[in-house]
Amino acid sequence: MVLGTYKEAVSARATDKDILKVSQDGGIVSALLIHAIEEGIVEGAVVAGKKDGEKWRPEPGVAMTKEDILGAAGTRYTMSPNLTALKEAVRQNGLEKVGIVLTPCQTLALRKLQAYPFARFVADKVNLAIGIFCMENFPIAALDTFSQAKLETPKDDVDKMDIGKGKFWITSEGEEKGLGLKFTHGYEQAACNICSDYVAEFSDISTGSVGSPDGWSTILKRTDAGKTIFDSAVEAGLIETKPMDEVKPGLPLLEKLAQGKKDKAAKELEKREKLGLKVPLVL
Amino acid sequence: MTDNIKVISPTTRQEGHAELRMEVDDEGIVTKGRYFSITPVRGLEKMVLNKSPETPPVLCQRICGVCPIPHTLASAEAVDSTLGIEIPNAAKLLRRATLAAHNINSAAIHHFLVAPDITDDSNFVAAVKSVSNIRKNVQYVVDMIAGEGIHPSDIRPGGMARNITPFTKDKLVTRMKALKPDLEAHVELIKNLVLEAGLPKDLGANLGDSVPFSPYASYGGNEFPYEDLTEVLPEAWYEDPEVGKRACTQIPLLKGKPQEVGPRANMEVHHGRKEKGVIAQHVARADEMLVNYNDLMEALDAIDTSANTMTNWKVEGTGELGFGVMSAPRGFNVHMAKVVEGRIAYYNALVPTTWNIPIMGPATEGFHWELGAHVIRAYDPCLSCATHVMVVDDEDQSVIKNEMVRI
Repeated sequence: MVLGTYKEAVSARATDKDILKVSQDGGIVSALLIHAIEEGIVEGAVVAGKKDGEKWRPEPGVAMTKEDILGAAGTRYTMSPNLTALKEAVRQNGLEKVGIVLTPCQTLALRKLQAYPFARFVADKVNLAIGIFCMENFPIAALDTFSQAKLETPKDDVDKMDIGKGKFWITSEGEEKGLGLKFTHGYEQAACNICSDYVAEFSDISTGSVGSPDGWSTILKRTDAGKTIFDSAVEAGLIETKPMDEVKPGLPLLEKLAQGKKDKAAKELEKREKLGLKVPLVL
Repeated sequence: MTDNIKVISPTTRQEGHAELRMEVDDEGIVTKGRYFSITPVRGLEKMVLNKSPETPPVLCQRICGVCPIPHTLASAEAVDSTLGIEIPNAAKLLRRATLAAHNINSAAIHHFLVAPDITDDSNFVAAVKSVSNIRKNVQYVVDMIAGEGIHPSDIRPGGMARNITPFTKDKLVTRMKALKPDLEAHVELIKNLVLEAGLPKDLGANLGDSVPFSPYASYGGNEFPYEDLTEVLPEAWYEDPEVGKRACTQIPLLKGKPQEVGPRANMEVHHGRKEKGVIAQHVARADEMLVNYNDLMEALDAIDTSANTMTNWKVEGTGELGFGVMSAPRGFNVHMAKVVEGRIAYYNALVPTTWNIPIMGPATEGFHWELGAHVIRAYDPCLSCATHVMVVDDEDQSVIKNEMVRI
């Protein structure tokens, strides 16, 4: 299956205005984590926090409250090595039930940590892994290039970054500027080119904007843990949903992009192998 | 080997390999007991030379997996000391809590090791379950504060890598309070089992002219009477040349006398107890769990979770030899370090069981040799850290260079 194993797909949006004010799309990650913390399903969550004084540089951190979660909301298109904060979360932060937000590659790493005994009493404490759709990721210097050099807007003046409709978008003082994705290619991390997972296939629940209308998110409920928490957040009125087949552009677009990433990765792997480069075993 | 020499090699239910050699009379009573380590060298003291000051705690904690926490702390304290670092108060409390929790854990492991000596099948399962319960809880404290229960990553020169959060502090206090009745019941159980095990009252009470050494009532510090220290090569200490040649540790003396370390010595120095021997050792070790528990709770309670735990330190240091003297489960663990021009120029570890080795053998004297192993086990010897090296001629196996590296 091109989207991995999932029980159900829906389109959804958080109902809380505080969340929607700061969220990237439908505010699903924030709503789920806040709900999980408030219901005691997790004691805290590892999220891409914001580094003091550098608003586009994410810093993995541990969120314990709704305020912490809202403080970390929104996408920054550069790596946040969230797994590095997992150990601190289960040690000095004392968390025994942990939520974590991960890109697809990090989700795979988490599952490996859980499958192999690499670290004692660390990854087994994660009981909610929220995966976010991800096509590629950029070094922070690339974000400078896009906003400052190509879109002539200092990165610090940018209020929102987004990727959609074939462009990399920045919003600054209410004005939107777009950069065609063909101009961003080449800046992504090299490893992203051989990654075949667009939709975080190994997460408990995956979410991202693709497939749903603006301001909404597409949800793939994958595991019992993911489904249970999502359904309970819907029941509590924190999330509103629409059936996936009633929204545009719907799952076909998501499937197309997911398949595209797999094909591209396979091609790149073949190319690297032909060059005699070492390539990892990829699913 | 003649009939009047009994050898137990290796001695069992202890860490590392050692030999107990006893000369016995016609009734099998030990007239002369000698105990010596035959554990091979690990060489960590040499590995840290010329490395940065951060290195010794990382490497030297791996001297052993039985008391890794005291090794880490002794190492960090020795480096702090030679660099002239005064660590923040919050870090001191975190270190203190870590050690106290570990020492409870280590005593519990020893109770598991000696359980077959002090109980029959009727109480064995209960004793082992009690040990597991206590270990699980106190190791949790070490995990949370120091980053890892076995080889902690967050005890560093200059303090502690991170503070705990208020959430964690509450959790630890709650969990430790809940453990208290279990711990008290465990101590009672072990003491009763020891007292009812039928061990002779004065078994192991022959401590010769040794002196109890316990410079700190809890945790440890940076003061060590280095000028009183002499170290005797095994060939000079053991009358039997064969033993002298095979023994892997040298004999440390303070003011010319062997020093007894461990729970019984602590209880004599700080709590005025005079009892000696196997039973006294076991009782002291059990009671010390509660002493450590109180220390743990005091430290936990005093931790300010918002305080800084790491000093900004410089590698220049004092150029003087620094000491880390830690109250380890088996006695005092002393690490010595000197940093010159930002690199480790000298490193030496004088570990708990090394102190006790010259005392343990003679302590078997006066009783039947079959009780010898009980005497040894009462000291909870842990030998992997206590070894020195020699350079031996390949052809005739003669000792060319006898260097004392006690790891």
